[in-house]
Amino acid sequence: MITSFPQLALLLLLAGPSAAAVLALVPVGDVSRLAARGGSILSVATAVGLLVSRASGRWGAFLGVDALSDVLLFTVTSIYATSAWYSDLYLRAIHRPFLTPQVYYALLSAFAFTMIAALLVTDLGLMWIGIEATTVASALLIVLERRPSSVEAAWRYTLIASAGLTIALFALLLLYTDTGTLDAYRLASTPPALTLPVEMAVALALVGYGTKVGLFPMHTWLPDAHSEAPSPISAMFSGVLLPTALYAFLRVYRVLGSPAPAAVRDLLLTFGLLTALVGAFLLQRQRSYKRMLAYSSMEVMGLAVTGIAIGGIALYGALILLVAHAFAKSAAFYCAGNVLRETGTTRIDAVRDLRDRMPRTGTAWVLSSLAVTGAPPFGTFVGELLIVVGALAVGAVWVAALFVLAILVAFLGVNGQVGRMVFGETADGPSPPANAADRGTGVIYVNIAFALALGVASLPYLSPALRAAAALFGGGAP
Amino acid sequence: MDPSAELVALVGIGILLTALFLQSESFVGPLVRGIALQSLFIGLLLGWLAWSQRSVDLALLAVLAVGVRAVFIPWVLDRQIRAFRWRLREVHAAQRVTGHALAAVALAIVAWFVFQETLSTIFPQPGGALPFVLLAEGLLMLATRGNTIVQVIGYLEEENAVVYAGALFAPHFPLFVEVVVFLDVLGVVLVGVILSIQRDVTGTPEQGSLEELSG
Repeated sequence: MITSFPQLALLLLLAGPSAAAVLALVPVGDVSRLAARGGSILSVATAVGLLVSRASGRWGAFLGVDALSDVLLFTVTSIYATSAWYSDLYLRAIHRPFLTPQVYYALLSAFAFTMIAALLVTDLGLMWIGIEATTVASALLIVLERRPSSVEAAWRYTLIASAGLTIALFALLLLYTDTGTLDAYRLASTPPALTLPVEMAVALALVGYGTKVGLFPMHTWLPDAHSEAPSPISAMFSGVLLPTALYAFLRVYRVLGSPAPAAVRDLLLTFGLLTALVGAFLLQRQRSYKRMLAYSSMEVMGLAVTGIAIGGIALYGALILLVAHAFAKSAAFYCAGNVLRETGTTRIDAVRDLRDRMPRTGTAWVLSSLAVTGAPPFGTFVGELLIVVGALAVGAVWVAALFVLAILVAFLGVNGQVGRMVFGETADGPSPPANAADRGTGVIYVNIAFALALGVASLPYLSPALRAAAALFGGGAP
Repeated sequence: MDPSAELVALVGIGILLTALFLQSESFVGPLVRGIALQSLFIGLLLGWLAWSQRSVDLALLAVLAVGVRAVFIPWVLDRQIRAFRWRLREVHAAQRVTGHALAAVALAIVAWFVFQETLSTIFPQPGGALPFVLLAEGLLMLATRGNTIVQVIGYLEEENAVVYAGALFAPHFPLFVEVVVFLDVLGVVLVGVILSIQRDVTGTPEQGSLEELSG
């Protein structure tokens, strides 16, 4: 019996994408496309409803939400909606796709459903199933364009992510053996004693879920899968799959109480900084712009993990960074999709003069690149600034220095390459505009605007939810 | 030593031997039969634990281990090998089997030592180190082999390790059956779907170094 709005919202959030996935398989006219769009819009509206009502609590034995899941539900459903919208144009340009549009849209909605389900469950075992299910739902989407490289990328993704998740399952076994429960909310409200198995469980969960987050050195699937997937799926991978996997880790991390033991925080800090630095330096030598964006996602995940490890105001900054990055990076991947449709190549050195050739996409490409690399006044800048301030506040000067180094290297690398692609001259002089490929920029600008809004204003409902989410982990807002 | 502990230890030794055999083999047919045998051992162990603890969950896991990992997936893998029309030996691993075998033995010793030093007091069950050894061996196989069929075998070995650990340490782990079903579904997706796509698109199960995936 449904007795409250949050209860109804939880049901709608699960029913929307799952119904869309089933309806998408109906081989009649535009049903699949409309089902994905309808399901995603319903999901966004419901997620906004949860934010507005500040829903928090649990319903039934396995479902519940708090501020952190409210924020991430809004992010996941928003990127699901924009990807469902953008997919139409992208699919039309693919020659001999491996999947029919019906199967593509069904898997897209199923992929969103698995992420939403992982955010709604309160049991760590079910959460693990949700994260594992994201792999099953998304692996086939990577091979849409039927290239040998995309098949190999799908293979690596499935195997490496699953191997990592097996380690996460070992972590849950350890945790259960010591505590006798996998209820995340109960474990958070009454943290267990800090025994060796509990600390080992958190460390193993970091390695296990960290594989899916793309932390160094378990990141090797990430650049392959993100660069070979179709652009709307790359947007979902980079924008929301990585934060959803990080969310699953955070639920285990919270078991340690606040503040977490120094040894675990140091481990987290090491993984975070190494990931940010390795991602930032590796993106410099990429020849494919999609691969460059993938390494940029790895770098941002490293920055966010660093913020979580530092705690306090830095943790709040990490959450802002994750949300702003989701909108900015999805916009960047949609731009990459437009460029690929027009030029037929992902090679950076083969793309020039987008300013004349694709003026709308070119402008969005520059703006989204600035947004993902933390340029002011985007939300990513605010998030990164708060992490640096947090590091300095606890006297971690070296951490702040390495953190800023990673940001600068990534900023110069991404914006330098995008600048060459947009403003670089071709040998034949200015290119004629390509009107057909320069379409579908509406969703791109919407996402860029959101990443910007997060930086310049305190957004009603979302900003308080971000502060409340940080407070769950002992994090504070300025 | 009571008969139950003796049986668990005996099956554990069988599992360890199959794990070391898998690392030292470069012919794919024996590898498929090796993982089937290992899954059968796991199934036997689960069946014994289910009977001694009167546990329906463990009985279901035993059926899954034998039905899916000892019979069904090896059967699909055999069909894939034939469908690829491809020789039965890994190209690159053939020259490195001695190294693989030595690395596998060294890794088993390290994993056993680490377990004894850290977790043996918490998990005093006989053969408690074996799931951790098996997990390490599965990861080694995934990391060092370039043949996709052999990588599936590494994945199955990891799954066996998790099931083995769950049955030994936490037989009442909630949703354990569902979790294992999910791992099996993923295994079937791997062997049934992605391998088929790979066959259609590339025609070979050996992974090459594609320029698009470098850097």
